[in-house]
Amino acid sequence: MYELVLILPAAALIFSIFIDVLWMSYVQLIISTLVFLTVAAISLFFHSITVFFGGLFFVDYINLVILITVSVLELFVAFYSFGYVRTEIKHGLSKRKFKFYYFWKNLFIFSMMVSIMSNNLGIYWTGLEATTLATALLVSFNRTKESFEATWRYVIMCSAGIAIGLFAIVILYFTTSQVYGESLKSLSFINIMRAGSELDKNFLMLAFILALVGFGTKVGFAPMHNWLPDAHSQAPSPVSALLSGVLLNTALLGILRFYQINVSAGIYYPRYFLIGFGFFTILVSAFSIIKQTDYKRLFAFSSMENMGLIALGFGIGGIAVIGSLFQILFHALNKGALFLSSGNVLAVTHERKIEKIRNLSKNFPITGLMLLFGVMGISGMPPFAMFLGEIYIMFGVFKTNIWFGFLVFLLLIFIFAGLFSKILKMYIGVKDDENGRQNENRANSGTDKDNQDRGEIGVHPFMLYAPLILLLISSILLFYIPSPFLHIVKSASAEFGGKIIF
Amino acid sequence: MIMEKIAELFIILILVSVVLNVSSPFIKFAIKLYSFQSLMLAFYILMGAVHFNSINLYGSFVITVIFKVILIPYFLFKTLKKVKIDKEIDMYIGIPEAVVFAGSLTLLSNLIAQKIVTVGITFGAFVFTISLATFLIGAMLMITRKTLFSQIIGFLTIDNAIFLAANSITHGMPLLVELGVLFDLFVSILILSILILNLRRNAAA
Repeated sequence: MYELVLILPAAALIFSIFIDVLWMSYVQLIISTLVFLTVAAISLFFHSITVFFGGLFFVDYINLVILITVSVLELFVAFYSFGYVRTEIKHGLSKRKFKFYYFWKNLFIFSMMVSIMSNNLGIYWTGLEATTLATALLVSFNRTKESFEATWRYVIMCSAGIAIGLFAIVILYFTTSQVYGESLKSLSFINIMRAGSELDKNFLMLAFILALVGFGTKVGFAPMHNWLPDAHSQAPSPVSALLSGVLLNTALLGILRFYQINVSAGIYYPRYFLIGFGFFTILVSAFSIIKQTDYKRLFAFSSMENMGLIALGFGIGGIAVIGSLFQILFHALNKGALFLSSGNVLAVTHERKIEKIRNLSKNFPITGLMLLFGVMGISGMPPFAMFLGEIYIMFGVFKTNIWFGFLVFLLLIFIFAGLFSKILKMYIGVKDDENGRQNENRANSGTDKDNQDRGEIGVHPFMLYAPLILLLISSILLFYIPSPFLHIVKSASAEFGGKIIF
Repeated sequence: MIMEKIAELFIILILVSVVLNVSSPFIKFAIKLYSFQSLMLAFYILMGAVHFNSINLYGSFVITVIFKVILIPYFLFKTLKKVKIDKEIDMYIGIPEAVVFAGSLTLLSNLIAQKIVTVGITFGAFVFTISLATFLIGAMLMITRKTLFSQIIGFLTIDNAIFLAANSITHGMPLLVELGVLFDLFVSILILSILILNLRRNAAA
């Protein structure tokens, strides 16, 4: 059963080469549903670490959380893409381009699954680098100058960053090969954890720092984050949702693995590095959000902030780890809803600037409302599940140090204000007179005004309801978390030494 | 004994080629140097393979030659021919300063390596020093040069340094992993070449 999670995306990859795009969208729906059902079945019956494919891959509680996140978000993105492809083809994009879209998207999903479930750190690295390459041509999908520049920065920065991560793996391999000898066995995560206390502590520490900087580039930690907002905002919206929601977590998984190894060897101070990087990331994104003029970049910075918060939670330990693990799933759902609904606005208006989009409540009744509620959710307001994750993390932070807690809290308020002031303007703001007149003039000759006025009517219903259902799920999860998932999160946090008090 | 001396020669030639790269603004020469540097790395791996008689290292030698010495430089040359740049003009610091900087980075990595390396290692701490120096100089190339090609060369240099480290402190990574890493590197070079061509076309238009 576990093998299916790898085989199904690989099958989708092969189908996407041979099948016509419109048929492919149906195939994609079926395969994504199957992947989701498989992962759901795995998580229902999961009780201990399971190894498959000759020990190269495994599933434990921690990567199961990320696996669930990927499969849920992928399901919704598949539904959204179904509508997205039809809408864009109707607007005159070629079918061939969308054949590429499905090919690269499936390659991306496949390599992400490989790196999430890999037992071998070398294979984890290969999969992570493959995700960079698979998404490179998706980021430059629009073939504009900005998108090519964003892609260049994305590929060169992430490749160099991940190369530093490879250095970390090499040093770890050197350390473990003194216990296991030089074979695939000394890169296997399960074996390394078992050897734990026999390993050389200095080298493990060095490996952790290199991994934090290297994979941290791909997570989007603060000094290395330059590529993130551009890449996430230039990609097509369904891909942005996947990039923000799950790819960042996949890179974080690498850091967490090194962290676990350090903890098992009895080295506890890596957590201060996680706290430091997490806090700095929140700080930088808080100040960047305020001055954004592009709504997709706004959301990209918001995912940076959330990754910072998640890292902070893992560093704090205890109850905050539970919050971080919740946050991984909840953030993906919420950010998916935001990127998908902002994709609707972008698909109709072809406009990225916040100041050009006004009065969404009239033209885009459903999408506008989704954006508003999504922003409420992403900043941690109660009717949405992220409230739960954030409250756990903040509880842990406040318990550690009350002043530090206040500082983080202040930054979160900053982010809340920054997000809301922008989105509220888009939702109910009215164009000022001069702009209005200009638009009227243009309406007589051009099609820009037409597009803006047509609003949601031309949009495929799947594109409207996929984010809606995502938000609904996010809202339900606040009141009722299914007990298998709760069990997985509790057990995963126990592996980080989190206390389980409910 | 004589084996070790020959191996050391290859390693020194790697460092020399990196410093030469810093000192020259010509991109075609830089790609040739990269190819040469990878060849020296491959020979170093071959020396290890003969010394330890390990099949893993022989395999590593073959794939290094195929990917790093032949395929990647070939595609870089092909892209360069289409783009028609021959010289690096945009640099944050000039060539003489950069060379001095490279020298001090080498000294620095010598200090670091002597701090870290206390355990017995294949060919001594010497290789680790050189690989650290290559790593730092590659990073410097990436930071100080603005032309896209130079950034690729810097990235490739960093990658070579990591391979050298992997082959110096251990007997190379497992072959499966090494193959995956090299294939990823190759594809990333292809994608970066496509991006360079597209960026040029956009700049011209």
